[in-house]
Amino acid sequence: MSVFEKSLSCKDVAPLLIFYACDEVSDKERKQIDAHVTNCADCAAQLAEASGLQEIMAAAPQSADELDSSGILLAQCRSELAESLDDLSAPPIEEHWRPFGWLRRSMALRPAWSGALLVAFGALVGTQILPWMQNGNNNNGQAMNVTVKPRITDDQLANMVVGGITFPSSSDSGSPDVQVQLSAEQPLTLNGNVQDSDMRRVLTYVVANGARFDAGVRLDCLEALKTVSRDLQVRQALITAARKDQNPAVRMKALESLRDSAADDDVRQALLDALEHDVNPGVRVEAVNVLVGSLQPGEPEGLTPEVNDSTPSVNPGRAAEDQSIERVVRALEQMQRRDPSRYVRLRSAAALRQIGPREVQ
Amino acid sequence: MPLPRWALALADDNGRSGSTDAALASVISLSHLDERALVAEAQTGSRTAFEELVRRYDRDVLRLALNLMKRPEDARDVYQEAFLKVYRNLHRFRFECSFYTWLYRIVTNVCLDHLRRRQARPEDQAPELNAGLHEEGITDFFERQREYRPTQDPERTLFGKEIKARIATAMERLSPRERIVFEMKHYQGLKLRAIGDVLGTTEETVKNSLFRATRKLRHELGGLR
Repeated sequence: MSVFEKSLSCKDVAPLLIFYACDEVSDKERKQIDAHVTNCADCAAQLAEASGLQEIMAAAPQSADELDSSGILLAQCRSELAESLDDLSAPPIEEHWRPFGWLRRSMALRPAWSGALLVAFGALVGTQILPWMQNGNNNNGQAMNVTVKPRITDDQLANMVVGGITFPSSSDSGSPDVQVQLSAEQPLTLNGNVQDSDMRRVLTYVVANGARFDAGVRLDCLEALKTVSRDLQVRQALITAARKDQNPAVRMKALESLRDSAADDDVRQALLDALEHDVNPGVRVEAVNVLVGSLQPGEPEGLTPEVNDSTPSVNPGRAAEDQSIERVVRALEQMQRRDPSRYVRLRSAAALRQIGPREVQ
Repeated sequence: MPLPRWALALADDNGRSGSTDAALASVISLSHLDERALVAEAQTGSRTAFEELVRRYDRDVLRLALNLMKRPEDARDVYQEAFLKVYRNLHRFRFECSFYTWLYRIVTNVCLDHLRRRQARPEDQAPELNAGLHEEGITDFFERQREYRPTQDPERTLFGKEIKARIATAMERLSPRERIVFEMKHYQGLKLRAIGDVLGTTEETVKNSLFRATRKLRHELGGLR
């Protein structure tokens, strides 16, 4: 026995006796305790008490033995656990999709508020959402820069009222820019060059339907159209105006506007008609001037076909040209003798003199 | 860890006639697996493997719960709560200790929660069912008859009932932790080191708890010998 073991006192042994009784001491401690209790009656008694308590606890029936002696509780626990595991393992119940179910339940409980909410929602959709969606749709996709020109429909032409025509600036190409104030279904200002088809269409309509428009408007239209008189539709409108417009100033302006197209047979016929039949001497003088101008050297080249494809080719052959000139001369000779207006007669005589040398050549 | 090939092969061979046979073969094969393989299989999501684990340990778990809680309904709650925690957290088990230790750690924690709750609000709890103290309350005929089986020594029976009643009263004096330590030591037969592992504490702490519990019980049970 070691010195340490000999020196083990009752104070050291007492706390170990409980663990000795339940076999929780090391071999070394067990030997020390065994040695001590053989010589110490008090500690031996305490050890006997601890061992006795151990025996009592071991002998005493346990709660588990009495509370579940038949195993029913264990089976019940297993069954309940299996059910719980089934619940945990089961996939979540997929309810039928009920959109806005919470909203419907809430609305069912508050009918008055729900009605007001629906009205407000409808107003919001109508006034805000739909315009916003339309804007959103316009912005979708690739950006496109589209300038929508005002398309004048036939109905609009038939009902339009021209408030005024102005010429903002002269174009370098010789075709004037025009601004037309229209009052159709809505007030409309039409800006553009006379070469623009829409602009030309409006101006031509005014000239061809002169009875509906103011004479000043018709004059402005004729002024604008004179640079495009080689266009077939424009030319026809100008011829119509020259023959039928009620206002002699307009007829004169129409003849003037046809100056660039004077070599055309229809235009020349219109000029001759105006010369022979127009009641206004001023118109007849204007017709003389345009006819004489068209017979001057260098004038015919103005009617080159390439200038306007739609213009019928004015390519008079020598015979046709001579025949046309002969008609003009005869008409001038008649006007020189019979026109009631002295000025017309004088102007016709002057024109014959201008044409005369050409006849000689 | 997946199932060993032999276990899977056994399941395949026996399961040729249908899914029921296959499941039965699987159970048979699982019963032969060691704890580690069984836990690994359960971690893969095998419900069968988990139930096999439950069957291996739930008897001891319920026994511990009954001895500690003294009430079948409380023990049943502990059983359910503990095994459901195990099921939910099994994927976190890293084999750093034995599954048994890990399981008992969960069970004792659940028991401690219940015991502390009971201590905090004793008025909400039903009285414990101690046969000795509440014998008059036993209404089931068979429950009553089993105490008087002719093979039992009547004197011993009466003595045992007196001891049980005294022990039950003495156990009430213990703290929840002392109660668990004493229960696991004397009725579950665990070593102090294992109890420390289960409770997540040191062996010395467990020793102190057992020492205090034993002194209290000795004081309460004095004169029983």
